[in-house]
Amino acid sequence: MIMINSLKSPEVFPAILASTVHDIKNSLGVLLELIRQMAVRQQPGEAENFSQLEFEANRINHSLMQLLVVYKIGASKFGLDIDEYAALDLIYEAKAQQDVMSKLKHVQVQVAGDADLLCYCDFAHISNALGTILNNALRYTHSAISLSVDKTDDGFVRFCIEDDGQGYPEHLLQADLRGFTNLDWVRGNAGLGLFFVSVVAGLHENGDKAGFVCIDNASRLGGARFCLFLP
Amino acid sequence: MKFSLASKTILVIDDYAAMRRAIRDMLYTLEAVTVIEASNGVGAINAMMNNRFDVVLCDYNLGDGKNGQQVLEEARLRKLIGQHCVFVIISAEQSTSMVLGAMDGKPDEYLAKPFNAQQLAGRLQRHFERKSFLAGVETEVLRGNLPKAIKLCDALLASGDKKMQTHLIKLRAELAINSGDYETARNLYRDILANRELPWAKLGLGIVEFRQNHYEHAVAIFEQLLKAQPMMMEVYDWLSKAYEELHKLSDAQAILSQAVHLTPQSILRQKKLAVTAERNGHFDVAEKAYQATMHIGKYSIHKSCEDFAGLAKVYTKTNAADKALHTLAEMRKEFLNSPEAELRSATIETELQKNLGNEDLAKKAFDKMLELSNRLPGKIPKDVQLDMVKTCFLSNEKEKAKELLESLIKTHVDDEAFLDTVREMQKDIGEEDFSETLIQKTKQMLIATNNRGVALYKQGKFAEAMALFETAMASMPDNKTIILNMLKIILHDLKFGDFHEDKLLRAKELLKRAQQIGIDPHKLGILKLECIEISQQRLIAG
Repeated sequence: MIMINSLKSPEVFPAILASTVHDIKNSLGVLLELIRQMAVRQQPGEAENFSQLEFEANRINHSLMQLLVVYKIGASKFGLDIDEYAALDLIYEAKAQQDVMSKLKHVQVQVAGDADLLCYCDFAHISNALGTILNNALRYTHSAISLSVDKTDDGFVRFCIEDDGQGYPEHLLQADLRGFTNLDWVRGNAGLGLFFVSVVAGLHENGDKAGFVCIDNASRLGGARFCLFLP
Repeated sequence: MKFSLASKTILVIDDYAAMRRAIRDMLYTLEAVTVIEASNGVGAINAMMNNRFDVVLCDYNLGDGKNGQQVLEEARLRKLIGQHCVFVIISAEQSTSMVLGAMDGKPDEYLAKPFNAQQLAGRLQRHFERKSFLAGVETEVLRGNLPKAIKLCDALLASGDKKMQTHLIKLRAELAINSGDYETARNLYRDILANRELPWAKLGLGIVEFRQNHYEHAVAIFEQLLKAQPMMMEVYDWLSKAYEELHKLSDAQAILSQAVHLTPQSILRQKKLAVTAERNGHFDVAEKAYQATMHIGKYSIHKSCEDFAGLAKVYTKTNAADKALHTLAEMRKEFLNSPEAELRSATIETELQKNLGNEDLAKKAFDKMLELSNRLPGKIPKDVQLDMVKTCFLSNEKEKAKELLESLIKTHVDDEAFLDTVREMQKDIGEEDFSETLIQKTKQMLIATNNRGVALYKQGKFAEAMALFETAMASMPDNKTIILNMLKIILHDLKFGDFHEDKLLRAKELLKRAQQIGIDPHKLGILKLECIEISQQRLIAG
């Protein structure tokens, strides 16, 4: 039996938090696999429900990871595991993470980039960041999404996620994604996701340069465009 | 080509049946045919004893019994998985690699839950490609043929695969360190760092300094690295080792405490902290760390009676006799029929009963200790031998103490860290002069033998030099300096003098012996290379 008093001791919290997260993640893993299996045998007209289920489960997962990042930064247990990776591998990982959802929604996800382009980052954090944005894009796009990566003239590696939906709403376009002077825009799933992704990008540093994200409606497909820059 | 697992033998380990089924279904969508399941660590180990797996997917959290990391350690140590096998630890945590640290060995991949078939396929494919790309090099490393591994690695580097370049340089630098070629390693790390501040390259630079005995430089690099990478656990391990070499034991303990706080599940780190804190006289810290070591070790291949004995010794020092006796009883229960555990128990009990003033019981334990030690000739760990010396002193058996101490010092006279623990023990019981005289005498004898041997060899008297060393070796069977010197002379003679098959055989024997008595692999690297080169030239010539 758990002694209720022991919950007041701060050392217990991390252990309980870790066990809870572990438990929810186990649940999510089984849930997602069941959704995938049931979707294979779906009846006509159910596609919308299945993609909603998949979207929500992914959303719970991303929120959980964001919560963990915040907890770790607070407990001084956060650190990036930086190494060199093929930039396309990060894109493929994000695409794979959202594979079920894109199939359910019949969205064409195209990938473009130089196979020899390398980047320096924490693989798990950046591929998750891209997965978070892609999950949202899949919800709002009509029929296609483009994932691409290239190198900018000032030496950043730039990841772009472009869709053919309605584009970002005005209040998000106005948001300050680099300085966080005003956090009014951080509400709803899209806003929260963007906030965490820009925090994670900003933690990537090289010399005096830091990573960042920016958004606009200049998508080559006619909808929203999200870009993440790694130094 | 489409990714397929059709030809792969796969093991899935998870205590949660629904999760196993989910993973198995995922594998089937990737065309897997042979999927074996286990619900706990013991089942997993049994499965690995009976099958040769290409892929192992193991959840970190397996309920009661071994966890995923312990399954991995045991599989590697017992060689139940081959180098081609991709071992994946599945966990809820994103940053598992940091939380678990590297002291106990890393899997090929950490996979965070939840994941789907496509993600799994992507990860596995990258590992299959990488493993087959590096297979030649890894095989030679396993065989101990470093020159060939280096040659193959250089050839891969020259092939210009951009995506593999950095990984190959990392491997090449490690090969250089292992063969004692520190300059090459340093240059490779510096080249990487000139382009990008990659943590592993910085760590490598520190390791090079450490290996060259530049401990102050190594400490500076490790400290700087820790500031930027506070979650990089390997750095804590190296930093504490460097402090130890500099005799800064309280700094070493402080760093180990931080590391243990961040990774409480790492058994080897807990153990290191326990031993260091005990040497520093911080018995409360040592007690906690030993208890943690025993607790984590319950299902680990690193479980050892040494830890139980360590805790019992801490209790002996803090006059907690009841707890000490209880710990010894636990040890005998956990290690039934282990002569080493019995011997440790009798040795510590002698001191305990002495402290309690129970002369009869002390005598009984002491006699038991001597009897047990006679049954284990040549197999008694050095720390136990040292404890035995102490009990001999306490029991006023000075002759026996002297005999044991003499052989201990002869064997380990070039192991300064161990000599320090000898000195500490002697100081504890007020007998400093006793061992110090022996240490100095043995050192002088060793230097004299070496000088005479080397001089004889230089005069061209190879046989006489060897005979001298063989005699010295008979009286100091496990002395590292003597074995190293004999090796150097034989190899030099094989290269520049007459070749005899017997000499090559003797060199190989000595190399094997050197490995057995734990001479640092990086010190043996160059000698091993020479031995292999000579064998190969012989093959070509013959």
